[in-house]
Amino acid sequence: MKIEHKELIVVGAGPAGLSAAIEAAKSGVKAIVFDENSKPGGQLFKQIHKFFGSKEHKAKIRGFKIGQDLLQEAEKLGVEVVLNATVVGLYPEKEIIVKIGGEVIHYKADAVLIATGASENMVNFRGWTLPGVIGAGAAQTMMNLHHIKPGNRVFMLGTGNVGLVVSSQLLQAGCEVVALADAAPKIGGYGVHASKVARTGVPFYLSHTIKEVEGEDHVTGVTIAQVDEHFQFIPGTEKHFAVDTICVAVGLSPMAQLLKMDGIVMDDTKGRTVPKCDRTGATSIPGIYAAGDVAGIEEASSAMIEGRMSGSAIAAYLGYLSSDSSEHRVDTLENSLSSLRQGMFAPENRGKKIETTEEGIAISQNLLKAGFVTDDEITRFPGFRKEMKVHPVLECTQNIPCNPCQSACAKGCISIGEHMTSLPISVDGSTCVNCGMCVASCSGQAIFLVAEETRAGFGEVTIPYEFLPLPAEGDGGFALGRDGKKLCETTITRVRTSKAYDGTALVTMEVPTEYIDKARFYKKIG
Amino acid sequence: MDRIAEHPILGNSPEGKMVTFTFDGKELSGYEGEPIAVALRVNGVMVHRYTAKRHEPRGVFCAIGRCTDCVMIVDGVPNVRTCITPLKAGMKVETQYGVTGKEGAL
Ligand SMILES: Cc1cc2nc3c(=O)[nH]c(=O)nc-3n(C[C@H](O)[C@H](O)[C@H](O)COP(=O)(O)OP(=O)(O)OC[C@H]3O[C@@H](n4cnc5c(N)ncnc54)[C@H](O)[C@@H]3O)c2cc1C
Ligand code: SF4
Ligand code: SF4
Ligand code: FES
Repeated sequence: MKIEHKELIVVGAGPAGLSAAIEAAKSGVKAIVFDENSKPGGQLFKQIHKFFGSKEHKAKIRGFKIGQDLLQEAEKLGVEVVLNATVVGLYPEKEIIVKIGGEVIHYKADAVLIATGASENMVNFRGWTLPGVIGAGAAQTMMNLHHIKPGNRVFMLGTGNVGLVVSSQLLQAGCEVVALADAAPKIGGYGVHASKVARTGVPFYLSHTIKEVEGEDHVTGVTIAQVDEHFQFIPGTEKHFAVDTICVAVGLSPMAQLLKMDGIVMDDTKGRTVPKCDRTGATSIPGIYAAGDVAGIEEASSAMIEGRMSGSAIAAYLGYLSSDSSEHRVDTLENSLSSLRQGMFAPENRGKKIETTEEGIAISQNLLKAGFVTDDEITRFPGFRKEMKVHPVLECTQNIPCNPCQSACAKGCISIGEHMTSLPISVDGSTCVNCGMCVASCSGQAIFLVAEETRAGFGEVTIPYEFLPLPAEGDGGFALGRDGKKLCETTITRVRTSKAYDGTALVTMEVPTEYIDKARFYKKIG
Repeated sequence: MDRIAEHPILGNSPEGKMVTFTFDGKELSGYEGEPIAVALRVNGVMVHRYTAKRHEPRGVFCAIGRCTDCVMIVDGVPNVRTCITPLKAGMKVETQYGVTGKEGAL
């Protein structure tokens, strides 16, 4: 059999694989990337929300845009991306078998990077194989790539970031999300993601899981029930929902089969199998590297940096870069990576019970159980401030690595400081000019502009709005609270869209002054 | 399930070329090049196949070609993953029974 030779073969054209190929190609390495999908970008192209992090991590840019930028950069550097190409074998001596169409091609490389990402976990419940039970990734693929609704009435199992993000994407696609449930006693993902969903009126059921899915040949309903601390159902706590779709978002597992096949030393300790690697992703076999979710589930931002670290190390391994310059580059990247791995959701904090923020403020317990901060709780956070004139209220109450709001405000109304995970502060005495940039740049849609009194007895609240149809000035409707419940009638006084807002509309509603600190969403009458 | 006509972030859905195909003999339509499974879902078809032993229905689960729950007989060929196979005009799509294909083959 003929064997084709390549310098660097990358398996997987997701954020990790593309970043690695780009970084290596910058030093002159000739890289080829294989992906089994018909479209490159991995998970990125399904992600239509703005990312967290800071500027260097491409914060406030939507995932699919980051994917387009990566592809363009790869193309400019001469990286070859081969699609519909499934890598089925990895053998010692860095030999690779690829299936392209009906053809099987054999390659040999000087270096190999495995960036195959992760696959979705499944749980068993009665009826889990019925048509209409789908993975959260499948829901994303249907709505964001193929432009169809995955279902009309959807039940979401799982409240990690994937479950929360996909729930808000379902709402954006025009589906009804009837509820979210999680067997764990608290919401696993970011509070700001949960709040986006909660304020539209979707209930959360913690310590609950699916008992049974009903339907003859497709889903027609679901019964959930509460579980005790041993995850046993508590009789009499059943709740029933009529739905046509169940979305399952119960975690991801690294897709490490190729690495195992090659006899690379694996690490099974943390309940998952990942390759043993150094900080650059170098595995136990010289010249074979791993980066991104396959080396440990994290997120796209970290996958891109890990990819770059591997790419730089590979350039040095192949002699295109001195080991000194590579080390230096990797140090810089590692700093950027560790800034992302801080805060309440940092890897080392997983499973730990956190009672207070870094600032010593008691965290909102309601946020963890119901997805929203209560009216009483919100006032103790530094993003909350009262002023007659328009000013920002930042309802971001957990320490997460994110700071685009700070740089969005040219007027110094928002401060996070040096430490990216610190809670944003609405700065006393600053002058807000109502430009709206902070509202649009907040990845968590957690910023509101509040004017306590614009005329006697009434004030205005401006909310981020990413739904259709967009309300129009003069429209009447209801102002909803953080819990998604009707507070009062309201009139829309202003609707702003702009290229600079990147798809987020700013909707201003007038409410009686007594509701000014409570009204956080809008619903049209009817 | 419906198509999303207009999306707040993704804008208008791209207009494709409408083509017809058959599902178990019935004529249906969908956009050329979209996954067969997508065209079926828009037409309300949820069941793609029945398992061999227990005759249980299966439909799309992963939508990215990994789980094989969505396989059907396409133009006479069984075990085609419809979630990643593009729709073409005149395709003959059939519910699959068991691993060999035809109804009654269980
Ligand atoms: C719903 C959801 C929301 C998310 N939200 C965020 C967020 O807000 N911020 C954030 O930073 N991250 C987010 N993430 C996580 C992020 O998407 C992943 O961590 C990231 O995509 C991992 O990158 P990767 O390159 O390692 O893998 P992937 O993006 O999964 O790419 C792997 C690629 O490898 C290909 N592949 C696999 N096996 C083979 C093979 N044998 N042969 C050829 N090709 C193969 C796959 O087709 C795929 O394209 C989210 C994930 C999900 C599912
Ligand atoms: S609206 Fe403009 S000026 Fe006011 S806080 Fe936001 S970014 Fe600053
Ligand atoms: S308020 Fe600031 S730190 Fe919090 S999610 Fe929004 S942009 Fe990020
Ligand atoms: S739905 Fe999983 S392979 Fe098609």
